[in-house]
Amino acid sequence: MTVAGMPYVYARTAQGAFVMPARCPHRGGPLHLARIGPNGRQLVCPWHERGVSLSRLRQEVPAVRRGDLVTAVFAGAFDTGAEPQVEYRPLSPDLSIC
Amino acid sequence: MSHASFPYAPFELRGDALRDAVVRYASNPIYLDNEEWENGDNPYRRQLRPQVLRYLDFDRLPGRDRILEYSSLAAQRVLTSVYEADLMFLPKNGLKDKWEDFQQFYSSTNRVLGETIRPALERFAFGFLDQEVEVSGKWSLESFNEYIESLNADASAPASLSEEAISSSSDRERAARMWLIQFAPDFLSEASPMLRNVLGHYGAPQSEWFKIIIDEYGYGVHDTKHSQLFERTMESVDLQSDVHRYWQYYLGSSLMMNNYFHYLGKNHELFFRYVGALYYTEATLVDFCRRAADLLTEVFDGRADVRYFTEHVHIDQHHGRMALDKLILPLIEAHGEAIIPEIVRGIEEYRVIQDITDKDFAAQIRWMDKGPEYKKLHTPVWEAISSGRVTAPLADIVEPYGELSNTHSHEGDELCHIVSGTMKFVSGFDSHQILHAGEGTVIERNRLHGAIIESDECVYQIHSVGDYTQCL
Repeated sequence: MTVAGMPYVYARTAQGAFVMPARCPHRGGPLHLARIGPNGRQLVCPWHERGVSLSRLRQEVPAVRRGDLVTAVFAGAFDTGAEPQVEYRPLSPDLSIC
Repeated sequence: MSHASFPYAPFELRGDALRDAVVRYASNPIYLDNEEWENGDNPYRRQLRPQVLRYLDFDRLPGRDRILEYSSLAAQRVLTSVYEADLMFLPKNGLKDKWEDFQQFYSSTNRVLGETIRPALERFAFGFLDQEVEVSGKWSLESFNEYIESLNADASAPASLSEEAISSSSDRERAARMWLIQFAPDFLSEASPMLRNVLGHYGAPQSEWFKIIIDEYGYGVHDTKHSQLFERTMESVDLQSDVHRYWQYYLGSSLMMNNYFHYLGKNHELFFRYVGALYYTEATLVDFCRRAADLLTEVFDGRADVRYFTEHVHIDQHHGRMALDKLILPLIEAHGEAIIPEIVRGIEEYRVIQDITDKDFAAQIRWMDKGPEYKKLHTPVWEAISSGRVTAPLADIVEPYGELSNTHSHEGDELCHIVSGTMKFVSGFDSHQILHAGEGTVIERNRLHGAIIESDECVYQIHSVGDYTQCL
């Protein structure tokens, strides 16, 4: 889903699921295709192998999943009247565990 | 003074020890099979079918797809009894010959045995919610408020599947009575789970919590106590209102809904989930009760006493607001945003259970309505079995006159085939088919049913076909 110009995906890792931006904060690489680094604490962007803290990503968007339905809160994001765009984005194996 | 450390071992019951403890609890004489379909003004008698419990695996955690199986119904029945040993029940017409049952139900041994198995059964009964609901991210008061707004909990909603099932039933009054029976475990001891959080000391929200309970209990005026209003509803449509009279007709999901609040109230570490679930149920009850009052009035042509529901249309407008403004927001202010995920989880867990309950009841009404069709299906399914085209595990059973098979369900479809004699096959309250020799019925998986023998003897077979459509 793209909200206010930023794409987001629902990542399911072995340590839990969460909503995260699909764009790397470094140069905008495809973070949804990133693998989890060897220390288990970072997502490694496939473009420049830059690490992004998983614990920070987990905290970014408050969300709740009930069954297959995910509700994420983007506070104030829709104040301008912009509608979110839904689109398909593949996920790396580490982000689609279950 | 010794400074040696003592390793802490949390209490846990599993495997054979758990199975033996469950059977031991349920073998109490008050929990054995009944010879009648209904319990007669005896709140202590609850049929737990201990003879079957030893074959159930309460270590396995069922997912949502298996949460309506018999193991879950059995667990919810046991949990209801365990939780309600904390509540005070007396028969309407006095203890008289029930003194011994009263002593048994409230005995130390019944309570201790129940408490011993409770954590494992709660894990079995509600563990699936860990898979169904997952809260993530850092929640703030701002994001929580936006989330609450998005729920639109007090908005008008369309008729639920249960309400549609009643409206379109071939026997609407029967379906509506079955519906009211499902509410009885909750409404006849209304707000009892809430009272579990009255004790203690936790500031102003404790008094706000108590205010809601004061409303539920009718301000000490018995005729306005909500449970009393519900008794009038039941009696107005020719049901009786003594506690657990209709125990055998409770669906597992109905017990799950009631037990969920006992589970949250009994385990105080889940207090904030209870706060969330309380908010959502109070906020949504306004519209639900409005629809329920209209539906019952229509189905019973104005005979139903619906004051229970109209009272909630009024008071729950206040309760939803009170739960949010006087409980949730002050609690967040006092204890920080870290409690928000638990509140959100309570809301969403309640919604999961609400969905399961709604679908289960609608399916049961379809099952009751289609009784004659399932009886007709005996012919082609029996033909498939007797011709050898289908083979299925077989149980040959011989039962005497009056033998009552207390209500239960099966994990797969079955064919009941009567070899000799007569059986009254019961598929819900006031719903049955008479089966004679050579006849029978398909029994749909997970559908509540029971039977009583109406001839001197009945010889019958149960063929566990799994999926009856494969026999057609």
